[in-house]
Amino acid sequence: MRGSYAAPQKSHLGVGGNTSCVEIRSGEHLLICDGGTGIIPLGEHLVKEDELSEMLVVFTHYHWDHICGLPFFQPAFSPNWKIKLFGPGETADDIENRLSNQMKAPYFPVETETWMADIKYLNPAINGVQHGPINVRFHNVHHPGVTYGYRITVGDKKIVYVSDNEIDFLKSSIEHRYDEFDEEEHQLLQRIENEERTAELDAIRDCDILIHDAQYTPHDYAKKRGWGIRATLTPLILLSMPMLSRCISIIMIQLMMMKKLMRSIAIACRSLANENPLWNVTSPAKAKQSNYRGPFAALVRQD
Amino acid sequence: MDISQNKPLIVVVDDSAAVRDFFEKVAKSLAIELQVFVSAADAMPYLEQHQPSLLFLDIIMPDKDGPTFLQELRHDVRHENTPTIVISSKDYAQDRIAAKELGVMEFVAKPMSTRTISDLIVKFAGIEPDSATHE
Repeated sequence: MRGSYAAPQKSHLGVGGNTSCVEIRSGEHLLICDGGTGIIPLGEHLVKEDELSEMLVVFTHYHWDHICGLPFFQPAFSPNWKIKLFGPGETADDIENRLSNQMKAPYFPVETETWMADIKYLNPAINGVQHGPINVRFHNVHHPGVTYGYRITVGDKKIVYVSDNEIDFLKSSIEHRYDEFDEEEHQLLQRIENEERTAELDAIRDCDILIHDAQYTPHDYAKKRGWGIRATLTPLILLSMPMLSRCISIIMIQLMMMKKLMRSIAIACRSLANENPLWNVTSPAKAKQSNYRGPFAALVRQD
Repeated sequence: MDISQNKPLIVVVDDSAAVRDFFEKVAKSLAIELQVFVSAADAMPYLEQHQPSLLFLDIIMPDKDGPTFLQELRHDVRHENTPTIVISSKDYAQDRIAAKELGVMEFVAKPMSTRTISDLIVKFAGIEPDSATHE
């Protein structure tokens, strides 16, 4: 996937060019995470399927790259579909307002009133949202405006989807302002930082698949601090890898051209493997033996 | 103000145990009544019964986020104008604007100093400067 905007240009081909959208299926139950441009071809595919007529779509937040495919989502315009929609907001009305505003004049020619599907906006629930066997729980993540990460559970399988999350932001804030505080304050601030990191790790603990953004190189991040997205996966994954008991898959959301992207991933993998003896870097060809099917270098757990 | 205590009531809603200790350290030098809650769900029953002089609110919390909680709280006529300060590591312009739209008086970015917090309590909780003794 791509972050911020779609990347159909030739230099970027080879990895998904659409903005955020993840399809998760369990039998005949369909969950879609985010409605970026990726939801457009997904919708075109879904309307051709006979066995499906219901879905749950959850949004991490309402920035353009996460909702801009929704006005072109074919099932919404079909009376044959039941679509439940959920995202940040105090009430179902909040969610409806935020999703439908992008289709109001002068931004779009037709409004959500033209949707013919059975649309239901869901109220927040402490126990999360249940869709058939799929349980979806949200937690707050570090991104401008209220933004959710999702922990999705089906049976004993757990997927964590966090599309935009500027991890370790507090750590860098403390580093920038180090001289403003006395020793006792430093100790308290260190505890606050540790608690935030623990909370972030708890959110991804024991997941089978982690889907997380990693949009910038460290060099690019220096210019984009405060945009709500972190540089590479290194800080989070370094912390999480020792406690992950099973495989971890990462979907990189990048603006980069393919060559730069492949180089960046290889560097990140080597860095991670150096810090975590349980994991080795492997080439794409060798990684296929581990059921990995990507063009990039990969990390494989050795035990 | 909570009349029964005869001191300004300061309520903090933040899931961080360290932030609780931070405020307890601040409270030692101020004549205030301090109540700390770890979540919106934890704080709501108390706030239905009490009117704080000042409310400190985190943004990222385990259940309900701070702005959504404050939006809910503002529906209660007793808390339409409860003085509120957001304190968060989310130091983003959009979060500051959203807080302002909810009537938040100040937005404090973590990391913060004890002096910053005690000055805000003195300023907004109606404490006479003489009763505020900084360490």
